[in-house]
Amino acid sequence: MVFSILRVPVFGAFLLAIFVLLFPVLSWAQSAEIEALRGAVDGLQQQLKNALQRIDQLEKEKNATTGKIDQLEQDKSSTGARIGQVEKSIQGVQSAPTALNPSMGFVLDASIDHRSKAGGNFNFRSAELGIAASVDPFARMYGFINGSSNGVEVDEAAAVTTSLPWNLTAKGGRFLADFGRLPKTHEHELPFVNEPLAVQRMVGGETQADGVEVNYLFPTPFFLRATFGGYNKLGEDNDRLDNAKSRSWSRFTYLTRLNTYFDLTDNQSVELGTSHTYTPSVRLPGDNLDGNRVLNGIDLTYRYQPLDSAVYQGVVVGTELFRNSERFAFDDGSKRRQSYGGYGYAELKLNKNWSTGFLFDYAPSIESPGKKTLGYSPFVTWNLSEFNRLRLQFSHMDDRVREDKADRGNQVFLQWTTVIGAHTHGFLGR
Amino acid sequence: MKIPLKKVPWAFVALVLFVFVALPGGAVFAQQIRVIASWPALADIARQVGKDLVSVDSLATGVEDAHGVPMKPSFVPRLNRADVLLLIGLDDEHSWLPALLEVANNPKILPGRPGYLDCSVGITVLEAPTRVDRAEGDLHPKGNPHYLLDPVRAKVVAQNIAGGLARNFPQHQPALEKNLKAYLAELDTWIGRWDKLAAPLRGVKYVEYHPEWVYLADRYGMKRIGSVEIKPGVEPTPNHIVELTQQIKQEKAQLLIYGAQNPRLPKQIASETGIKSLRLYSGGGGQPETDTYIKWIDYTVRSLVQAVS
Repeated sequence: MVFSILRVPVFGAFLLAIFVLLFPVLSWAQSAEIEALRGAVDGLQQQLKNALQRIDQLEKEKNATTGKIDQLEQDKSSTGARIGQVEKSIQGVQSAPTALNPSMGFVLDASIDHRSKAGGNFNFRSAELGIAASVDPFARMYGFINGSSNGVEVDEAAAVTTSLPWNLTAKGGRFLADFGRLPKTHEHELPFVNEPLAVQRMVGGETQADGVEVNYLFPTPFFLRATFGGYNKLGEDNDRLDNAKSRSWSRFTYLTRLNTYFDLTDNQSVELGTSHTYTPSVRLPGDNLDGNRVLNGIDLTYRYQPLDSAVYQGVVVGTELFRNSERFAFDDGSKRRQSYGGYGYAELKLNKNWSTGFLFDYAPSIESPGKKTLGYSPFVTWNLSEFNRLRLQFSHMDDRVREDKADRGNQVFLQWTTVIGAHTHGFLGR
Repeated sequence: MKIPLKKVPWAFVALVLFVFVALPGGAVFAQQIRVIASWPALADIARQVGKDLVSVDSLATGVEDAHGVPMKPSFVPRLNRADVLLLIGLDDEHSWLPALLEVANNPKILPGRPGYLDCSVGITVLEAPTRVDRAEGDLHPKGNPHYLLDPVRAKVVAQNIAGGLARNFPQHQPALEKNLKAYLAELDTWIGRWDKLAAPLRGVKYVEYHPEWVYLADRYGMKRIGSVEIKPGVEPTPNHIVELTQQIKQEKAQLLIYGAQNPRLPKQIASETGIKSLRLYSGGGGQPETDTYIKWIDYTVRSLVQAVS
C-alpha cells in the first residue's frame, strides 16, 4: 500500500521530471527548426537581395553598355561622316580637274568594199572623236573631230544656249545644219552603209555649215519646232561655195525648217519635216551674172516601235525628197537647172541584235537633171552590242550620170563600227 | 467695228500667233505644280505626296525596257511645260532623257536646277561596280538603279519628292509634309504586311534576265544564282544558256524573273529545267493591276509568293 501510495507521486514525479527534462529538449528542437527556417528565410532574403543587387548591377552595366554602344554608334557615324567628308574633299581636290573634263567618245568606222567597176578597198571611213560638256549655266558645247583617209577636220564644233527665254535655242559655230533628216546624220549613224547618193549630189553630203541657227519650240500640245539659220554654205562636199572667204550677205545661205511629229498610237508615229534653203546670189566662175540657189526638202518618217519590245522589234520607213534649182555654167553660158531626187528606205528589226532593210536611191545630176542614178541596196545589220556593229550591204547602182565609176555597177560592203566612251549625237541624231 | 475682208487672213494669222506665242502652253493650268516623271511609279508617289497640288504625268508607261524607251518628240512639249522633273537617276534614263532635255527648252528642269529632282539621292545603292568597263556589259557606274523595288527605299524617294517640291514651292511645304507623313504611314503599314507575306521567299534561289531584282531580293532574302544575259545588256550566247541551265538544275533555282525582255529564252529555259518563269516589270505601271506604287509592289510580292508556293 505504502508502495502504492508512494508509487503515485514517484510516477508523477517521474513524469514531471521527464516532462521537465524533456520539455527544454522539445522546446529546443522546435526553436532549432524555427531557427533553421529563419536561417533559410534569411538566406533566401540574402540571396534575393544579392540577386536584386546583381540585377541592378546588370541593369546598370547594360545601360552603361547601351550608352557606350550608342556613343560608339554616334562616334562611328560621326567618324564615318568625317571620313566621308575628308574622302570627298580629297576626291574633290584630286578629281576637280578631271571632273570638269568633257565627256568623250571615239568611233571607228571601217569597211571592206568591193565595187565591180572600181575594185576593192580596205576603207578607213572615219575615226571620230566626240567631246561635249556644259560651258556654264547658259550654254553647252560639243565637238566632233573626224579623221579619215582624206585627212583630219573639225566636223562639228558648236556652242548651244541652254537658258534662252521664249522657247528659243541658239547655236553657233560649225555644225550639221537642220536640213532634212538623214542629211544631218553622221555617216556612221545611218541605218545603211553609205549616205544616199541623192543627199550627196543635191545637198552636198552631210549638212555641215559654218554659221548660226535659232530654234523655236512652239508651245503647242504636239511637237512643232522651227529652225532659222544663216550659213557660209550648206553641205560638207559643196565646193561651189567657200567657207574661208568674206562675202556679201546676199551670198550666204539661209534656212527655214518646220518639223512636227504625231503619235498615231502608243506604238506608231509619224514625223514630218519641210526644209527650205535660199542663197540669194551664187556667183559662177567666168560669169558676171548672179543667180539664186534654192534647195527644198521634205522628209517623212513612219515608225512602229512597240513599247514593250522596242529593243527587239520595230519598223522604220523613211523617205526624203529634194528639189534643187540653181544656175550652172555651160560652154554656151549659164543656165538654170531644176532637179528632183530623193531616197526611201525601210528597216525591220528582227530581234535585239539583228535588223534588215532596203534602200532605194534616186539621184539626179544637178547639172544635167535628165541623167540619174538609181540605187537598190538591201542590207543586214548585226549589233553585237550597243557599241559594236557589223553591217553587210549589197548595192546595185544603175548609173546614167557617169561622173564616178565608184557609183556604178554592183557593190558589196562589210562595215564594222565600234564605239568607246560616251557617244551621242543627241535628239537630232535619233 | 468692221474688219476689212482683205485683213481677215492677217487677223487669223495674228490670232494663231497670239495663241501659240503669247499663251505658252499650260499657262491656264498654272495653279497646279506640273510634275513630269520618267517612270509611272515615281509619278504615283508624286501624286500621293502632292495630292491636289500637283498634276503629274509620266513619260514611260512602265512596259518599256529602260534601255529602249523610244525618244519620242511628243515627250518634248510635255517636258517643256513641266515645273519639276522626277527621274530615277543612277543613269537609268541616260539613253533617252538627256537628249530630250536638250531640245525641251526648259531651263527649270535641266540638271543642277531646282526642278531637276534625282530621286536616287540618299538611297543606299547596291551593286555599284568596282570596275567600270564596257567589257563588263552595259553597266550603271553609280550602281543598280532599280531601287524602287524595295519599299523601304521608296520611303526615301517619297521624302526626296516632297522635299524637292517644297524647295521649288515653299508655300506648299506644310501641306506636302502632312501628305508625306500620311503616305509614309501607309507605306509602313504595307511594308509590315509585305514582310509577313514574303516570308516564303526567304532563301528562294532565282535567276533574272537582267540585273533588276537585287533590291527586292535583298529585302526579302532571295538569292540570285545567275542571269540570262551574259553581261548586263548583252544577250546570251548558246554556251551561256547551257551553263545557266545546268546551274539552275544543280542549285534547284525556283524562279526565273524577266520583264520587258523577249519571253522566248525564259520560256525555253523553263521548259528545259522546270523552273517557274515569271514576267514582272521592274518599273511599275506595266500591268493593269500596278497603276500605283503600292499596288505594284503588292502585285509583285504576291506573284512571287504564289509562284514559289
